[in-house]
Amino acid sequence: MSQLLKPGQVVTLGISGAKCQVKQFLGEGTQGEVHRADLDGKPVALKWYFPEYLTVDVRLQERIKMAIERGSPSDRFLWPIELASAPDLPSFGYIMPLREPRFKSIIDMMKRRVEPSFRAVATAGFELAHSYLQLHAKGLCYRDISFGNVFFDPDTGEIRICDNDNVDTDGNPGSIRGTPRFMAPEIVRNESEPNAMTDLFSLAVLLFHMFMMHHPLEGKKEAEIHALDHAAMCKLYGTEAIFIFDQNDTSNRPVPGIHDNALVFWPIYPQFLLNLFMRAFTDGIRDSNHGRVRESEWREAMIRLRDSIVYCGHCGVQSFYDLDALRQSSGPVLTCWACRKSLQLPPRIRIGDSVIMLNFDTQLYPHHIDSNKVFDFSKPVAAVTRHPNDPNIWGLKNLSGDKWVATKPGNPTLEIEPGRSLAMAIGTRVNFGNRQGEIRL
Amino acid sequence: MAPARPGGELATRPLHFIWIVDCSGSMGGDKIKSLNFAINEALPAMRKVADENPNANILVRAVKFSDGAQWHVAQPTSIENFRWMDLSADGVTDLGKALKLVAEQLKMPPMEERALPPVLVLMSDGQPTDDFSSGLKELMDQPWGQKSVRIAIAIGGDAHLDILQQFVGNPEIKPLQANNSESLVKYIKWASTVVLKSASSPTGTGQDSKGAVPIPTPPPPSGYDVW
Repeated sequence: MSQLLKPGQVVTLGISGAKCQVKQFLGEGTQGEVHRADLDGKPVALKWYFPEYLTVDVRLQERIKMAIERGSPSDRFLWPIELASAPDLPSFGYIMPLREPRFKSIIDMMKRRVEPSFRAVATAGFELAHSYLQLHAKGLCYRDISFGNVFFDPDTGEIRICDNDNVDTDGNPGSIRGTPRFMAPEIVRNESEPNAMTDLFSLAVLLFHMFMMHHPLEGKKEAEIHALDHAAMCKLYGTEAIFIFDQNDTSNRPVPGIHDNALVFWPIYPQFLLNLFMRAFTDGIRDSNHGRVRESEWREAMIRLRDSIVYCGHCGVQSFYDLDALRQSSGPVLTCWACRKSLQLPPRIRIGDSVIMLNFDTQLYPHHIDSNKVFDFSKPVAAVTRHPNDPNIWGLKNLSGDKWVATKPGNPTLEIEPGRSLAMAIGTRVNFGNRQGEIRL
Repeated sequence: MAPARPGGELATRPLHFIWIVDCSGSMGGDKIKSLNFAINEALPAMRKVADENPNANILVRAVKFSDGAQWHVAQPTSIENFRWMDLSADGVTDLGKALKLVAEQLKMPPMEERALPPVLVLMSDGQPTDDFSSGLKELMDQPWGQKSVRIAIAIGGDAHLDILQQFVGNPEIKPLQANNSESLVKYIKWASTVVLKSASSPTGTGQDSKGAVPIPTPPPPSGYDVW
């Protein structure tokens, strides 16, 4: 195997002049090779471009310099740190953080090699929306959102975004158009170049894959295609793109036996999430400028989705509380998607517009109890607990630094100091300071 | 306990990849050794392409031709399970028969009704000794033959480029000329990875604007040695 860089090779980093030594070949793609390298005892990833690729992508070095100068939008991106060069070698490279082994590709999820819980998927969805929002807020666009460059920890849902060398200032022309099936229809139809709006479409496709294990535009129309070649893809994902669950157009419904994942997953989720996907692939297809679901909307939906998780008392799987479904159906019962028995709902707490199911492992976070706070999942402010002497008595433990005040009609006011727990009595109102919550069943 | 989430893998379509290999006497010695080496070299990279393209179910087979034509690997084999048994060289160059064998397999059945465009990679070092035209016609009479992506690698200077170009069928894609073992390795790698990737996910960029699958540019040849 002839490689551009061999173990032991030393390269020089652009700005600092520091030396970095190649340790181990990790893999190669169409653009170049990636190696594990050593920088002052610290392991980093070193990407090195094939000389041929430089002729295809003439603005590459300029783009990477810009990315390095702007800095990473967040710690979720494996972002270029410094350019790398060597006097005796053609081409150039850059160093970036090494991806830890706990992060698996979304592709592994698609192949069912890893099995995240619904909570982990919702967390990953939140982090993706949050991360791309931060990228776009810096005036950048990613241009190639697909399941090939997103990684996640199946246990926690934490994500890493790779291949940040395609990132560019929103509006600049570039050579990458995206990955088929993820490209916005206007790009497939050659009407537009990648930009922040087309990123939103690709993000929606990625999220749909994560939740439904299927593509949003592959239904009856896909089943009728014999040879799925370039021309057929241009129709399916471009000129004749129709959402498989489009409310008004049933021409592309999923076909049982071929598109089963869509049929199995869609009914599991609460209506508010389905409505968002509906908009993403109806308005989102027709109106590329104003019809797309924004990252802040996905972010909110993911939090709400996580807060809606309930456990089936019979078989233990995670399922979802769906207020809209309960209001519409004739009986106040939700059934488990796995064992089909009725779900026994735990108490929930309503704080402002948020409803959080109080499961055995539920935690509340700063943004739940204080409308001024940003999302921070490292600092829970409350957790569901059991009474140390009686496991049948459930409570809410104050993990924050502030005192809570709880009231219940006909009962004296209670104060819950940090570290103490409040019994989860139905009808109790809790004053967290900035916001109030009510425990319901 | 029930699984965390229901359902199965992401839906796939088959992507049939077929090596069509010239094993005539003139391929003996370095040429067939290089070819065997090159295909083995390409396998890990093909597995990576398969790994990165969950929409495609890549299935590999091989036809050999010299005196007549036979299936070298007859069963469409997933790339994880595909093993290359070295070919030896002896006989003439019955390319026409090889194409008929492939055409037979592209009929429905056994070919599926729904699939990605098949990828056919022909490697030859000389003139066909049988009726190439009728073989090609049988292949192109099949709808899946027409939809297939066809790549040709000419091994050495005696290959019949015109024939290979007819096989490819697209004036914008030329047969690749491998004049030494390093180039052969490179081209086989390219055909089995870049082309494979394009058939899994056609991007619409690259030199082919008319065919089923746009083919990105092949790499430049290596070295100066000539067989």
